[in-house]
Amino acid sequence: MHRLIAQQIAKATAADGKVDVARLSELVNGAYEDLDRDRRRTDRSMSLMIEEIDAVNRKLERLVEERTRELRAREIDLQAQNVRLDAALSNMSQGLTMFDVEGRLIMCNGRYLEIYRLQPGDIRPGMLLREVVEARIRNQSFSGDPDQFVAEMMAAARDRTPMRQQVELLNGRTLALDVQPMAGGGWVATHEDITERKRAELKIAHMALHDSLTNLPNRVLLNKRLDEALAHVERGQQLAVLCLDLDQFKNVNDTLGHPIGDELLRKVAGRLRNCVRDGDTISRVGGDEFSIIQTDIAGAVDARQLAVRIAEAVSAPYDLHGHAVIINTSIGIALAPADGTDPHELLRNADMALYGAKGDGRGMFRFFEPKMDAQMKARRTLEISLRKALENGEFALCYQPVMNLGKDGMKSCEALLRWHHPERGLVSPLEFIPVAEEIGLIVALGEWVIRQACADAAKWPDNIGVAVNLSPTQLGNANLLPTVLNALATSQLPPDRLELEITEAVLMHNTETNLKALHQLRSLGISISLDDFGTGYSSLSYLRSFPFDRIKIDRCFISGLGSNSESAAIVKAVAGLAESLSMTTTAEGVETQAQLDQVRELGCTDVQGYFYSKPVPVEELTKMFSRSSARKAAVA
Amino acid sequence: MRSQRLVWNQQSGWTPKQFEAGRDSLVFYFGTRQALAGGTRYHELRALFPAAHILGCSTGGQIDNNDIGDDEIVAAAIGFDATSLRLSRREIGDPSQSRACGEAIGRDLNADDLAGVFVLSDGLNVNGSALVAGITGVIGPKIPLTGGLAGDGADFKETLVGGDCAPQARMVAAIGFYGSAIRIGHGSAGGWDVFGPRRQVTKSAGNVLFELDGEPALDLYERYLGPEDSQGLPGSALLFPIQVHDAAHPDSAVVRTVLAVDRDARSMTFAGDVPQGWTAQLMRGSFDRLAAGAADAARQSRAGLNGHADDQKFSILVSCIGRRLLMGQRTTDETEAAGVELGAGMMRLGFYSYGEISPHAKSGQCELHNQTMTVTSFAEVGS
Repeated sequence: MHRLIAQQIAKATAADGKVDVARLSELVNGAYEDLDRDRRRTDRSMSLMIEEIDAVNRKLERLVEERTRELRAREIDLQAQNVRLDAALSNMSQGLTMFDVEGRLIMCNGRYLEIYRLQPGDIRPGMLLREVVEARIRNQSFSGDPDQFVAEMMAAARDRTPMRQQVELLNGRTLALDVQPMAGGGWVATHEDITERKRAELKIAHMALHDSLTNLPNRVLLNKRLDEALAHVERGQQLAVLCLDLDQFKNVNDTLGHPIGDELLRKVAGRLRNCVRDGDTISRVGGDEFSIIQTDIAGAVDARQLAVRIAEAVSAPYDLHGHAVIINTSIGIALAPADGTDPHELLRNADMALYGAKGDGRGMFRFFEPKMDAQMKARRTLEISLRKALENGEFALCYQPVMNLGKDGMKSCEALLRWHHPERGLVSPLEFIPVAEEIGLIVALGEWVIRQACADAAKWPDNIGVAVNLSPTQLGNANLLPTVLNALATSQLPPDRLELEITEAVLMHNTETNLKALHQLRSLGISISLDDFGTGYSSLSYLRSFPFDRIKIDRCFISGLGSNSESAAIVKAVAGLAESLSMTTTAEGVETQAQLDQVRELGCTDVQGYFYSKPVPVEELTKMFSRSSARKAAVA
Repeated sequence: MRSQRLVWNQQSGWTPKQFEAGRDSLVFYFGTRQALAGGTRYHELRALFPAAHILGCSTGGQIDNNDIGDDEIVAAAIGFDATSLRLSRREIGDPSQSRACGEAIGRDLNADDLAGVFVLSDGLNVNGSALVAGITGVIGPKIPLTGGLAGDGADFKETLVGGDCAPQARMVAAIGFYGSAIRIGHGSAGGWDVFGPRRQVTKSAGNVLFELDGEPALDLYERYLGPEDSQGLPGSALLFPIQVHDAAHPDSAVVRTVLAVDRDARSMTFAGDVPQGWTAQLMRGSFDRLAAGAADAARQSRAGLNGHADDQKFSILVSCIGRRLLMGQRTTDETEAAGVELGAGMMRLGFYSYGEISPHAKSGQCELHNQTMTVTSFAEVGS
């Protein structure tokens, strides 16, 4: 019997053993109802659960589908990204490797193999860094200590610190290795061949400090070396700074061209190199200017010896592509600590000494002297005054008559420039003309002279001409012709009353251009004279190169007439030559009757000098004309 | 230790009439709300046992050994030889005071030689989880705390608890056992099986559940109960308890049973917390699995006594009303199954409750359970 029915019977049985059937059936009924209810509940909950689980399943299926779609899309994306990444990696100019946290190769690109000349089979993903290094050792593309290299890389990855290294390969190439730790361990390294860049950098660094023509240190490096050398001076050593330039270097450039000039500079640099010791520095600081630092000297005597050596070496003849060239150098020397311990001061003092050496005459050397400083200052003051003098009207012309030895009497007057300095009074042209030349004032000054001389001469008797000196600079100036034309036009002076005097030096530079200018001037009717003949090169070829109207024989021959027969011979020869070339000759500096008689006898056509008249202001000259015309009138 | 079973019914009153009451004695009694209301039965017991602590509550059915009845009041008088007792009772005005109430009781009972606590609580106006947490917070997690929440049949209207006083609503009463002689074994098991999909508690506040997977919880229950059983809410919700657990700690799963429903808010109030974010799964029972659960609880409890041969051993079975609702006449399957495990020498009585209190079978932590059978066994060493 089922336990339940036994219980139910027990519950329906009274104490007397009588079974209450109604009670029993109620209990049995209830039990059936319990079961039915339980079954209904079970059925209901089961079917609901199945529905729910079904719904959940459908939801999951949809989710799976969705995720699968997403994954596929992502996969396609990833593939495309991989292709792009692969293209980027293959085409990058740097070698690239990626290692995991254990130091195993994850990937490398083709450029990496190329840089280290590895074959694709030499290394593969999964290899330890150590094995990659060994592969490189085998093909000799690794230099250094492999253990140390591996340890360093692993340490950098472990500490997550970026690392940069320059690696020199056995084949001489230089690589930049840049190691960056990756998130999640491991690292990515780029390998860049920086050989060319490094060379270029070195070259640029060299160029920044050296002169490209001579490969000598430039001014920047000179200053640096001088700083360094002066540090030794502080510790008791002495040094010398020599500044030098080449005398008349411009002539070489002008006459032979710049390529030859450059070649000369290179050769000079070579000779200078041979003159100095290893520790000394030679620098080219400008066109033909060089500076030398002579270190650790015993005293001035060492610097003097070097200067002598240099002067000798530089002045030896050069063969420049078939041109024989001789050039001298002037040298200024400043000593440290005696002349200063500041680099700029020393260089300035050496420069001043050079200026002094040039003043002494070419091919000299001079030590710096404190008075040079004062002289330099005086020169600067002169420069400043000179620049103001023209606008202040401090210049004036005076004139010295030129007399014809025939019956013409006064023929013309040479215009001579005078500067009436407001404080210093009359300043010698010998002092200010070179300065005016140097500071470029000579052109403006020359123009003023031409205009003024023409204006003055226009007021003179018609038969009196005016002679004006032209400097080489003026002749080379394109403005000369317009200036002359303008001066003539303004003054109404006929061109045949104007005479322009040039020196031989004019014909030494830019000969072609100068000759062209001279021909143009002469074609206007202006006379051209060759001044100071006999003092320079006195090459007769100059006389052939241009049809001068007049030769002016330098005063030194005239003053020598009484004492030596050579002067007379020269004067005679020149006069004869001039006559045969249809030129007139002026003997300059005639001071005595004897000289006058002699030059007349030697064949000169004209004279100029104190015997007749010193240079006189224009007012006085006008009086002389009046007297002369009165005299002529009286004679008449 | 001595134990004596008593029964009260309409016809005979209390039987037997004679009882040798000891100095430290304790009377447990359980009956329907209707039978206990007014306090007459308590006063009769008090007259019978003037010196004893008397602890009882209303139920959803009384367990008298294997039998389950609704008419009689069952009681047991226990005399201890070497164990002293202390009773504490507190009124609870509002479920929000549950923790404070538990703490107060814990403070009343706490002592160095406290060996165990058995608590009976109002079954409707309390958050059982908070109450338990309040008591264990004071007495510590190592002292076994067992007991249950009073029941009101399937009515869920009012529950009564009395501790040395006439039973009344909103009352919590607990008895503490002191000394080294007392042995308390306890066991708790359900036997319910989870079924259906796992759901997430998407909206809740304390022990009030609003939504599962974003759907009103009451909708889900009504769907599962069907129109017939839905009429019986909240009692019928006991047919489908839920198991909740913190997703991060699946071992901490506890079963929660419904105390009340709010048809307007579509919410359900459970006997313990249903924390938001936890995982919930519906459960269902079968007669055999529930009976096996009861046997399991009994086995744990007996094992807790460590085989002491006290021939007066005594067990209190507190089983969930939900189990009885499901099993109907077959409920005796579980009392019998428990009886087989506890052995013939063990006197058993108990009640069907709105919540069971016992240490968790796995974690050992005292908790409020629902839909379980919990068995607390008492024995004294040397008696």
